[in-house]
Amino acid sequence: MDLALQLLFTGIGIGAVYALVALGFVLIFRATNVVNFAQGEFSMVAAYLMVVFAVDLGWPYWVSFLCALAGMALLGAIFNLGVYYPLRHRTFLPVIIATIGASILMANSVLAIYGPQPQVLEGWFETPGIQLGPVYLDSQYLLIIAVTCVLVAFNYWFFEHTMVGKKLQATSQDKEMASLLGISVSTMIMITFIYSAVLGGLAGILVAPILFVSIQMGSTIALKAFAATIIGGFGDVTGAIIGGLSLGIIETFGAAYISVPYKDAFAFLVLVLFLVFRPQGIFGERVAEKA
Amino acid sequence: MPLLEIRDLIVLYGEIEALRGVSLSVEEGQVVTLLGANGAGKSTTLRAISGLAKPAAGEILYQGQSIVGLGPEAIVRMGISHVPEGRRVFPGLTVKENIMLGASNRRAKKSELSREADAMFDLFPDIRAFSNALGWTLSGGQLQMVAVARGLMAKPRLLLLDEPSLGLAPVIVQAVFRIISEIRRTTTVLLVEQNARMGLSVADYGYVLETGRIVLGGKPDELWGNEAIAAAYLGGHAKQAATAANV
Ligand SMILES: Nc1ncnc2c1ncn2[C@@H]1O[C@H](COP(=O)(O)OP(=O)(O)O)[C@@H](O)[C@H]1O
Ligand SMILES: [Mg+2]
Repeated sequence: MDLALQLLFTGIGIGAVYALVALGFVLIFRATNVVNFAQGEFSMVAAYLMVVFAVDLGWPYWVSFLCALAGMALLGAIFNLGVYYPLRHRTFLPVIIATIGASILMANSVLAIYGPQPQVLEGWFETPGIQLGPVYLDSQYLLIIAVTCVLVAFNYWFFEHTMVGKKLQATSQDKEMASLLGISVSTMIMITFIYSAVLGGLAGILVAPILFVSIQMGSTIALKAFAATIIGGFGDVTGAIIGGLSLGIIETFGAAYISVPYKDAFAFLVLVLFLVFRPQGIFGERVAEKA
Repeated sequence: MPLLEIRDLIVLYGEIEALRGVSLSVEEGQVVTLLGANGAGKSTTLRAISGLAKPAAGEILYQGQSIVGLGPEAIVRMGISHVPEGRRVFPGLTVKENIMLGASNRRAKKSELSREADAMFDLFPDIRAFSNALGWTLSGGQLQMVAVARGLMAKPRLLLLDEPSLGLAPVIVQAVFRIISEIRRTTTVLLVEQNARMGLSVADYGYVLETGRIVLGGKPDELWGNEAIAAAYLGGHAKQAATAANV
């Protein structure tokens, strides 16, 4: 029982990272109808930016953090202008290929600068964690969970209670109609890319002290996050968050009770089961909203 | 100077010539109805005005100024609001949110928009009760009301309405046209209809469009006697249409 509680905590922590990246996937998908295969690379680049600022330059952690997020906002904007915008009137295929190209470019650029050996990023806190009854709460996991809670709340407020949020939803549901109402569709898509890049970046910065900072971390996280969006019901915001958390919990329990080497396989086993038996995902019925 | 003037407008979809030289004008304060059969080019005309379709040639003058080449966002800011075919109510947003978004062409605080949307329900009492219902749950008639209400939130000088009666039960069609006769007191309207009887009942002037060309224009009573109008929307059953028109 104690072990189960401990695993639940860890699973939610890692699942929260998947949830943030999955949220970025879903928001871009809803706004552009394109799966952004470079979403994971946003996490990877942000983690390396932290290495640059906090480790190489030795800036204070929070300064590095803010600069890394600002860098991600900029990257999101450049990504939109360079990858999506020129192809926006084309079918989804050229755009998807462009995002794959961009992801290779980002990964190899970082490889060219830092080489293949993983980098180490310290966690935010000096204290490694606290013991709460039977469960040891690692401070980095606590931070991840706290930040994700805040972001999910922010996301809800932003999309449900602001006019910009409503305009973003309108744009994702019917771009032509949105433009007829005077909504600047290109601005809305710009906001989406910036927001998604920052979300992905946050996930990368938060998870970096737990994993190593490596070129591969982007694709690993992206695959899990992608699986999470399918489990949740593709295109559904709540589904992405629930899917991410479930996946984190499943793979943590799988690793502990069944097999550590097959940890990553559990995520994909669940993905395959969903694709076969419930391809619309947990929240699939709500696709009607998007019709 | 007419509020809107179109001269020799040509619009192509690839090889297809949807409009082959359309000219028409709309005076301020009028309701002008554009009639024509399916595929005649009515929607394309409205789409060219609102900036969704790019003309290959011709002029579109609004308040004497050319608006060809401007995007839809710029055109709606100039005061032309387009309620397109098929209603296009955002399915995942509520009725009130849909209506509030109609004011995206101007600056206004959210609280102000909320008040304006509530006031809009005075003109559309049938949808007041559905204020918080999501778009996809509405019936065709309700969707049409929401679409028109949303179009009016732009505070347009010129309202473009594309087949507001399409697919609606006769009672609902009448409700929609009652609203149009309310709107005409304050707003100039360019109305597209296949339903000639209803379309001309509210009009000051009418045009008949046939395969991308205006074949006829005149005041409603001038058009009534003309067999060509029946031919344009009923495919040649002129007598039947004339009888229907006299009912
Ligand atoms: N997106 C499009 N692509 C190709 N052809 C189109 C498109 N939209 C309309 N058309 C063609 O243009 C012509 C006029 O269409 P439209 O303006 O929709 O007519 P109406 O509104 O009078 O029914 C039709 O022949 C139609 O098939
Ligand atoms: Mg039409």
